[in-house]
Amino acid sequence: MTKPDSAADPIVKVDDLHAYYGKSHVLNGVSLQVGRSEVVGLLGRNGVGKSTTLKSIMGLVHAQQGTVLFEGKPVTGMPAHKLARSGIAYVPEDRRIFRLLTVMENLRTGLDRAGMTESRRHELLDKVYELFPILAERRNQHGGTLSGGEQQMLAIARAMMLEPKIILLDEPTEGLMPRMVAQIARIIEILHREGVAILLVEQNVALTLECSRRVYFMEKGETRHHAAAADLTVDDPVIHQYLGV
Amino acid sequence: MAIPWDLIVVQTVNGIVTGMILALVASGLTLIFGIMDVVNFAHGELFMLGAYIGVLVLASTGSFLLALTTASLVVALIGAALQIVTLRPLIGRDPLTTILATFGASLVLQNYALWQFGPISRKIAEPVSGQFHLLYLEYPWYRLVIAVASAAIIGAFWLFLKFGRYGIWIRATTQDRVMAQAMGIPVPWVHTGVFAIGAAMAAASGVLFGPLVGVEPYMGLPWVLKAFIVVVVGGMGSFGGSIAAAIFVSLLESYASIWVSPSQAIIVSFVVLILTLLFRPTGLFGSASR
Repeated sequence: MTKPDSAADPIVKVDDLHAYYGKSHVLNGVSLQVGRSEVVGLLGRNGVGKSTTLKSIMGLVHAQQGTVLFEGKPVTGMPAHKLARSGIAYVPEDRRIFRLLTVMENLRTGLDRAGMTESRRHELLDKVYELFPILAERRNQHGGTLSGGEQQMLAIARAMMLEPKIILLDEPTEGLMPRMVAQIARIIEILHREGVAILLVEQNVALTLECSRRVYFMEKGETRHHAAAADLTVDDPVIHQYLGV
Repeated sequence: MAIPWDLIVVQTVNGIVTGMILALVASGLTLIFGIMDVVNFAHGELFMLGAYIGVLVLASTGSFLLALTTASLVVALIGAALQIVTLRPLIGRDPLTTILATFGASLVLQNYALWQFGPISRKIAEPVSGQFHLLYLEYPWYRLVIAVASAAIIGAFWLFLKFGRYGIWIRATTQDRVMAQAMGIPVPWVHTGVFAIGAAMAAASGVLFGPLVGVEPYMGLPWVLKAFIVVVVGGMGSFGGSIAAAIFVSLLESYASIWVSPSQAIIVSFVVLILTLLFRPTGLFGSASR
């Protein structure tokens, strides 16, 4: 198996990240990088620290050791709202829609920012409404009244309002019907083609291999291995080693 | 016992007037609790400071409107400074520490007022004099002005929360602080802003209510006590709930004082509070919504 070439000009580069929840050592040396407009998968069993990795990149979990570089500049310890403004978007595992805000208001949390012009606003809204027509239909409905799949679309659409350079996407297909899973794959493809990089945490191995260029494997809070997605198959020994039960 | 209809009419008007001013005090309190889980024990002192600044501005300019706006702005700045200095460093600590911090701030502000202005109560002249007939009473117009002005301030703030860009920031932060931050909303500044707005609303009610009582260092205490009752009865952190509860509790007290003395009528508020905590701890009016 060939070692995949890492991105030459990474948009996000994580080096030897360590983090704790209270006294438990949840990240124990995470190193990875994501290139511009590259889709990178992050695989591993439950509880190995995949979600925590995304949260520490986003500045939502404080990393005690290690560095995160965004576009070559260190951003470790920077507050999340500044990272969001500079181009990192986060779509959490449980979607975390603002339930009492309407669909439109949920989108406005990302749209209402300095430097936004009226025409750009319309462009961005038109784009997500075209991608997710159901959101246009429900724009005045509260986020909490949407179905799970619709909430997932809203979470992604909301992240897109920030015009991010990279999206940290945590388990987007969790609990969705197969038809929705296919749609999520299509959206990842569209974002990739638009030049948005994606760091994807997923339980669905087939989807991860299909969407990603490279894949990292985590075990015990540590990135242990990485490989080109094209070199792997769903029942590869490596997959069994890191994901098998 | 015959039902004293005329008294009931008068007490309904009284209840609505006090209810509106109480709603103005309580909505600041509930907003601050809703967004940062801080129980602001210094809220009554912000009310009192507002009234004193009103006294000073009114004495030097003679304009009640100017007194009202200046007091609100100055107390908003004081509130912002208070939040940055005392509450921001406590984020992530035990909520009990914020109670101690705001209680400490309240003592400092009370004693500052005592030192600066003395124990003698000051007067704010009613900006609108004159009375109208309300059955057997000559009812002061100014009391209706208070009710209308409070309603206008609350209404304006509600519109801001509903449609304004920063209003959406406030609602998003109230619902999910972490996700709000991940969407680029500067949450620490939203907290400071909300504290400042709450302080301004307390100050505005202090100036509006000043003419009815005197302005003195401890005038905030009974109001903040009632406002706390209202916040709990309305459902902690629910904006609409605390407004409904303010009017509800004030009406009940007004009706009770038909038969008992006004100082005994306060018992009714506590009874409502205890019953709420026993049977509907999430509040009578709060739809669990924030």
